[in-house]
Amino acid sequence: MKVRAQSLGGYPRPRSVRRLLRQSERGEVDPEYRVRLLASASSAVIGAQIAAGFDVVVDGMLDWHDIFRPFASAWRNVTPTALLRYFDNNFFYRIPLFTAEPEPVEPVLAPRVRLYAPLAEPAGLKVVVPGPVTFTLMSEVIGGLRRDELAEAIARLLADEVRAAVEAGASFVQVDEPILGDPEVGRDEASLAADLASRIAGAAGEAETMLAVYFYPPKREVYEEVLKAKVDYVMIDAVDGGGKGATLVAEAGGGRKGVALGVIDARSIYMDRYEGVKSLVEAALEGLREKESLILTTSTWLDLIPYSYSIKKTRLLGLYAERIAGDLGLEYTGGWR
Amino acid sequence: MAGYQVPRKFPTTVVGSYPKMPPAEEALKKRRQGIVGEEEFHRLARDAIRMVVEDYLWAGVDIISDGEQTREDMVVYFAERLEGYSIGDWVRVFDNVYFRKPVVTGKVEWRQPMIIDDWEYARSISQGRPVKVILTGPYTMLEWSFDLHYGDRRELIFDLARAIRREIEEAIARGAEYIQVDEPALSTRPFREEAELLKEALEIVFKGVQAKRIVHICFGRLERILPYILDYPVDQFDLEMKNSNFRLLPYLKEYGYDKELGFGVVDVHSFQVETVDEIREAIDRLMKADIIGPEKVYVDPDCGLKRLPREIAREKLRNMVEAARIAREEW
Ligand SMILES: [Zn+2]
Repeated sequence: MKVRAQSLGGYPRPRSVRRLLRQSERGEVDPEYRVRLLASASSAVIGAQIAAGFDVVVDGMLDWHDIFRPFASAWRNVTPTALLRYFDNNFFYRIPLFTAEPEPVEPVLAPRVRLYAPLAEPAGLKVVVPGPVTFTLMSEVIGGLRRDELAEAIARLLADEVRAAVEAGASFVQVDEPILGDPEVGRDEASLAADLASRIAGAAGEAETMLAVYFYPPKREVYEEVLKAKVDYVMIDAVDGGGKGATLVAEAGGGRKGVALGVIDARSIYMDRYEGVKSLVEAALEGLREKESLILTTSTWLDLIPYSYSIKKTRLLGLYAERIAGDLGLEYTGGWR
Repeated sequence: MAGYQVPRKFPTTVVGSYPKMPPAEEALKKRRQGIVGEEEFHRLARDAIRMVVEDYLWAGVDIISDGEQTREDMVVYFAERLEGYSIGDWVRVFDNVYFRKPVVTGKVEWRQPMIIDDWEYARSISQGRPVKVILTGPYTMLEWSFDLHYGDRRELIFDLARAIRREIEEAIARGAEYIQVDEPALSTRPFREEAELLKEALEIVFKGVQAKRIVHICFGRLERILPYILDYPVDQFDLEMKNSNFRLLPYLKEYGYDKELGFGVVDVHSFQVETVDEIREAIDRLMKADIIGPEKVYVDPDCGLKRLPREIAREKLRNMVEAARIAREEW
């Protein structure tokens, strides 16, 4: 079995970016300087991932205020409004308010990919989009638009985003549906999420695709629906919920190509112990077949911990993936030797 | 200080925080810059506490607070004053706003009184009205800090509980009648294991405490864990209700709720001032649900008022007090 590692999503902002955005808010920054500074800060984040042996990297989404914001800001008929707690984190997102079906005004992903894919050499660049079901359920909708219609509309726009991103050079597409880990979410929402993720993945051409569920492992019936998505990998959080995620994989298996297991705790600054990570992987392996591949990743985005720790955890993930491959007799496909 | 009679039915109260008054902002700034020490800091904040207490008295609230004027953040305030904590690095809260998320780097222990000074000052000017002692609870301290020392949530939460209990003992020795522990983090992880972990911690916090024991929980899917919290060792649950449109009421009925209830009737996220009628109807709604009697109902806002403009906070409280007064005649 092949094993490799990658970061799940966004990174925290280093001091330079915090200062830049503060100055930006006051209108003190020349747009060209902003792009240049963000690119250099993102390069550092990309470099850390390459050094950790990841064959697919993210640009860190350092300028995204929350996962919905770049899209809510780039589309007509939706506005970011009041703050609301983002899952069980001490972090708040702005509730997108939809007044009608969204329409694209400007592209979000493709320009980034054009900027960052060349910086990611020799790795590929991953793009991440919010899943339509999470997006819809965490938004406010007024003006008679039905939620299922909205989810469909969002999926269409995201599919267009992904198509353009892959054309621009993205090699991996990830759809995030963290709300599927919510114990109140049932089979219907999961089935819709899987269906819409399939449509988005369908626009990804040759790129690899993944549907990610995190912050808590989903219920069994939800996970079974997730597995029906036409994506290469499903990602599941194996840290929160005391390793239930690894058990789910052991019992119900993975996606078309395999599973991505969130084994490094992205919400704690404690340096994960090797034996603990290894035992999560061992538990999950029982549900995977020899020809499937395993991606080891972080339990969620790394942006909820301080910057320095996000870099340390990136390195730890790379080290552990290689060591686990050795210890468990798996084929490690990361690294640049 | 005796002499104020808290109404037998529908006493009014607050959850704790109040908009920061200018003298408090000034004191916090000086404390941050290291210009003043702890003692001077609390002395400087007294003007702010006085303004808050004046607003409460103007509105007619029965059981008040010090407005948490010296607390910039409910977790950081205690972390900075407990043994075992270090100042953390920057973590984002929203948009481009950050806070230094505290880090546990050693054994957590109580060092010296943390909130007693503000509370005693508020009491000295409350015209006999009781002032709640309000602390951030062990579960919220645990969840909203990083841990580099324990590597074990149970051990850490129990040490946090012991430290909080020590502060409560200080307050009890000085005559505190109402002790409230705030646990907003619990509703963000509404799982049975989490609720049971907090129960064990609260047993340490409150065991044998001779005062009204209150736990405040807000904003989240509390109905999921209601069955596991009902036997907490507390006299009162103080709950956000208005913002979630009183969704919890049928669940309270279903589970035969019989403790006292801090009944949140004022939305702290809305600048719209609830009318007296609106609040009275909320109280009627609770009473018609026939869950507990009026002597067990404490009327208060959903949560702390700190994010509201002062004028709106005052008006909301005044209407709340008036609605409770009318309700006393009806029920
Ligand atoms: Zn609250």
